[in-house]
Amino acid sequence: MAKFLVLARGTGTAYANRSPQEMQQVVQRYMAWTAGLRDAGRMIHAERLQSDGRVVRGTGAKMAVTDGPFAESKEILGGFWLLEAASYEEVQGFLKDHPHLDVGSLEVRQIHDMG
Amino acid sequence: MKFHEVVRAQDPAAPSEVEALVEHLFRHSAGQMVSRLARWLGSARLDLAEEAVQDALVRALQTWPFGGVPAEPRAWLFQVAKHRALDLIRRDVALRGKLDGLDGAADHFPEADVRDAALDDDELAMMFMCCHPSLPHAGRIALTLKTVGGFGVGEIAAAFLAEPDAIAQRLVRAKRQIREQEIAIEIPRPDELGARLESVRDVLYLLFNEGYAAHGGENLVRAELCGEAIRLAGILSRNPATDVPAVHALLALMLLQASRLPARVDDAGDLLLLSEQDRARWDHGLIAEGLSHLELAASGNEVTAYHVEAAIAAAHAVAHDQASTDWTGIVRLYDDLLALKPSPVVELNRAIALAMTDGPGAGIAAIARIEADPTLARYYLLPAALGGLWLEAGDAGRAAVCYREALTRPCSAPERRFLEKQLARCGRR
Repeated sequence: MAKFLVLARGTGTAYANRSPQEMQQVVQRYMAWTAGLRDAGRMIHAERLQSDGRVVRGTGAKMAVTDGPFAESKEILGGFWLLEAASYEEVQGFLKDHPHLDVGSLEVRQIHDMG
Repeated sequence: MKFHEVVRAQDPAAPSEVEALVEHLFRHSAGQMVSRLARWLGSARLDLAEEAVQDALVRALQTWPFGGVPAEPRAWLFQVAKHRALDLIRRDVALRGKLDGLDGAADHFPEADVRDAALDDDELAMMFMCCHPSLPHAGRIALTLKTVGGFGVGEIAAAFLAEPDAIAQRLVRAKRQIREQEIAIEIPRPDELGARLESVRDVLYLLFNEGYAAHGGENLVRAELCGEAIRLAGILSRNPATDVPAVHALLALMLLQASRLPARVDDAGDLLLLSEQDRARWDHGLIAEGLSHLELAASGNEVTAYHVEAAIAAAHAVAHDQASTDWTGIVRLYDDLLALKPSPVVELNRAIALAMTDGPGAGIAAIARIEADPTLARYYLLPAALGGLWLEAGDAGRAAVCYREALTRPCSAPERRFLEKQLARCGRR
């Protein structure tokens, strides 16, 4: 088994005009997806990221810190899930019908195994 | 802001969170939060309250998928909505430089008391605002569904077979009127409570009927109207200010009617006649609840149309089958109802009951007296009922004419299928 990081881009603002009932249905789809992987022992960790952040460049006296990243809302990193899977193919299977794909994209990265 | 303490993400390995989301949590919380915030901010800031609540729900949607559902989801939503409202007020102040009497608002912001009794009180006050007699009827209904019910514009439009733009316009106009007339979000003073409460009851009954009439599994939003009307009437019945016999009568009526919903359609989603329904599928919990509210309704001297209609519904609910139903009593109750609220629709129902005691001919004769009534010109149930009576009288030809006429009038898809099925029956005779 290897570890995979699933990064969710797009922050769900597309749902701003939906009704409360519709929004709850979306939340429930996410929860069901998470619960499925957790119950299968594949979910290691998950966090939401705040949409603001800092970008740091340069060293010593040249170090510059700017507010950011100010990507387009569909590019903003909304959060991540850390999963356990046998392969990219298996992760792709997990992501089929993932509710996030309705409004944003998912980036999958395998964690490099030092062993 | 220290609400990150409440917002704190749950361990994703915690036990199942899917079940933690109560059915309609978002919709009901939205109604409760808008009521709470708008009551505090004043009816002129209803839009701001709605925006804050919508933002809180979006925040939940962005956060919960990763962090899990918080231990107290409703308290979480309230806390976020409250802070968002304060942000929006500050934005308003920065833009326009005025507080409109909201100085130090943050200091006396209501605590997020999410106990039912406190929320009930807010929703009740909001219902009185939405159903204010000076607002147009359509506006009252749309506003009640939007602000107290937590329904979206699209859902309200679907329930009333209207265009979303038309509903949105209705809401804008009603809110403007509320601002201009300074209609407050409060429980009315005792001297005006009676008339105001009547308006609230009528709106709830309309909501219920709208949902009940079209319940056929094809339009779930409409079915939800019944549940929402019952929920709101329940709030009225629990509050000492509005706990009057007529409220219990209305609640009894809705519960008894709703008890039949599970049996009204067959497995294919087709409508069933009362005589064809499997009475074991009636919701006996709702019947018991309805009968106990009917008992509470009997205290006091006032007899409203809701009392009589609830008594009719009860007569059906307690009968084991069509044959042992007290039809004579039901005809008499319809007479009482006609005395209280003369209407051709009630006449039609009385005629159907009369046919059960005196035979189809008596029913047909009674319907003949109201057939030309212009208010029934587009009412499909009149020719449909007549068709049923002609079938029973053995005249399939006349029955077919009636069902064909019924099919030219507006009705829902399940109703249409029902009429087509009946028409096919005529042909087989």
